[in-house]
Amino acid sequence: MVEGTELQREVEKIFDTANVQYVIGYSTDTRGFQVIPFFAKKKQDVAHLIFSPFCVSNLAMYLKNYKGSGKIGIVLKGCDCRAVIQLMTEKRIARENLVIIGVSCGGVIDQKKLQKKHPAIDNPQEVMEKDDDFIVMAHGKHHQIPKKEIVLEKCLHCEHPTPLIYDVLLGEKKQPYGSDSYADVREFEEKSLSDKWKFWETHFNRCIRCYACRNICPVCYCTQCSAEQLNPQWLRRSVTLSENTVWHLTRAFHVAGRCTGCGECERVCPMDIPLMLLNRKILKEVKELFEYTPGLSVDETSLLAIYKPDDPEDCIS
Amino acid sequence: MKNVIIKKQQIPDLIKHILQQYVLWGPVREDNLILYRLINSPQQITLDFQKVSLPPKKIVFPQTETLMRFCKEKDMTVEVPSFPKKPMVLFGIRPCDAKSFHLFDTVFLDDCKDPYYASKRKTMISVGLTCSAPPLNCFCSSVGGNPDDPTGFDVLMTELTDEYYLEILTEKGETLLKGFKGCTPATNQDLEKKNEVCDRAKKGIKREISVKNIETILDTIFDSPYWETIAERCIGCGICTFLCPTCHCFDIQDETAQNKGARVRIWDSCMYQEYSCQASGHNPRATQMNRLRNRIYHKFNYLPKNHQVLGCVGCGRCIDTCPVHIDIVEIIAHAREVTQ
Repeated sequence: MVEGTELQREVEKIFDTANVQYVIGYSTDTRGFQVIPFFAKKKQDVAHLIFSPFCVSNLAMYLKNYKGSGKIGIVLKGCDCRAVIQLMTEKRIARENLVIIGVSCGGVIDQKKLQKKHPAIDNPQEVMEKDDDFIVMAHGKHHQIPKKEIVLEKCLHCEHPTPLIYDVLLGEKKQPYGSDSYADVREFEEKSLSDKWKFWETHFNRCIRCYACRNICPVCYCTQCSAEQLNPQWLRRSVTLSENTVWHLTRAFHVAGRCTGCGECERVCPMDIPLMLLNRKILKEVKELFEYTPGLSVDETSLLAIYKPDDPEDCIS
Repeated sequence: MKNVIIKKQQIPDLIKHILQQYVLWGPVREDNLILYRLINSPQQITLDFQKVSLPPKKIVFPQTETLMRFCKEKDMTVEVPSFPKKPMVLFGIRPCDAKSFHLFDTVFLDDCKDPYYASKRKTMISVGLTCSAPPLNCFCSSVGGNPDDPTGFDVLMTELTDEYYLEILTEKGETLLKGFKGCTPATNQDLEKKNEVCDRAKKGIKREISVKNIETILDTIFDSPYWETIAERCIGCGICTFLCPTCHCFDIQDETAQNKGARVRIWDSCMYQEYSCQASGHNPRATQMNRLRNRIYHKFNYLPKNHQVLGCVGCGRCIDTCPVHIDIVEIIAHAREVTQ
């Protein structure tokens, strides 16, 4: 468990020594329980910074359009850090432009799961970690809930709870919680083609094309998205099953070999479309076919930029 | 007009009764969502929900609407889709969502009558459902509404214990229930029970803001750095606009293939960079701050000034679903403390 005061102290030090323009972290709204991304621009802002298991969002998203030359500080969990590494391999931002405040993460809470399992906890005021449980305070009562019941799906098989790169690390280094066997993908693969199509048809039919999946994604940063191009128009504006399908498959392929599995697209989808099933299918294929996992090393070349003279495909060699 | 009681087990019969003469839209549970769908059988409908995931605006203002189809062979032929003839019933509408239709009317029926909207709106009968347990982010009572506000309804249902209390508010509502045998006249005791439910609902609203003189206050802080501090975390997606019951902006496109095509109207969002981008490439709302500020001003300054109506009904959907928790209640509350 990371103490808020320890975080604030470290960020203060960064303001004193590192000449950062701002530090991206988490804070709460005035009600005190809703966590929001927060930009600390001066030392006095540091008092607003917090870290708790409600700090779900991946702040790496705010780096994707980095255009400056100065330094930025950023609070990153293990999973978020992988997205930053991916951005570095894609030359979106350089290591020397970042001061990374790494947080060794004990899992973050899926608000939808919490609400479903414990509808009474509608305004959790405080949360603490105790071994394998969370202790959530709401309406003056403590609720002890096993972590595995309410953490995000990705936390259940998190292989990198401690950030792979950092300048400061908060919390003890943690062992992986498990290894990702892609059980969900394997299970889905067993379905018949018609069942698979029926599943996606139901979900894509619900899509309202708000593009939250794209905008929240740390690696979705094209200057002009194919969804907005008019000449040629790859994708019609009509919100229909066929256009929605084109949209989601196009996006899945555009982030293939680049998606680090942070799950933000699925988390923010107002229509609950299980987008990570698509992205994880591709992650699994990439891992099995190319022995490649995005966002693990700054020195790695991005998958789609790798060329091997002894490639088994005729069209390459 | 008389108020009546209907037992919960009679609701399927009521639905069947409505289906005989009307096209019916009602709330349906799909996975973790509640969505308004076209209803064919009583089993589809659920009345056990807090908030419908998407507002009912899509029923009168579909996200994608074909305005006309065209085909060029020897000559150009143009075909306008026929308007629905059968009257339409919207069932299980919350009072906040019902208020949004009034605002839509000022946009689509006032200066320039939109035939597509008018054709649906004209025949529409709405059956409301009192919001007996307002969820966390609701604030309808701060923006001129209430969990039991009958405005805009033909019939308003309030859930009691094993029955619903039905207020028949208009002639249309009376016609809707004509011939239905499952109702009994409401007694004074029923009315008391109904009032209790409504009082409890009003007390259940947890969020409050003052919108008094908000348009004047906003006039003084247009250039304040305040807007930058809110917008810096905005990701520029369309959730707040598409899930808003009153947002009504649209784009029109000709979608063609070979010699055929259609002119379609599609929801658009002022939060998108492309929305305000001009053909020259110049964008008068160049940054996300400009766009977010515009959305707030449209609801709390431009509409009150130009149409004497607030552009927010307090449903709280934008707060529930914003990926970075931008909170319209906080924005308005803090706007009072901001000085230019």
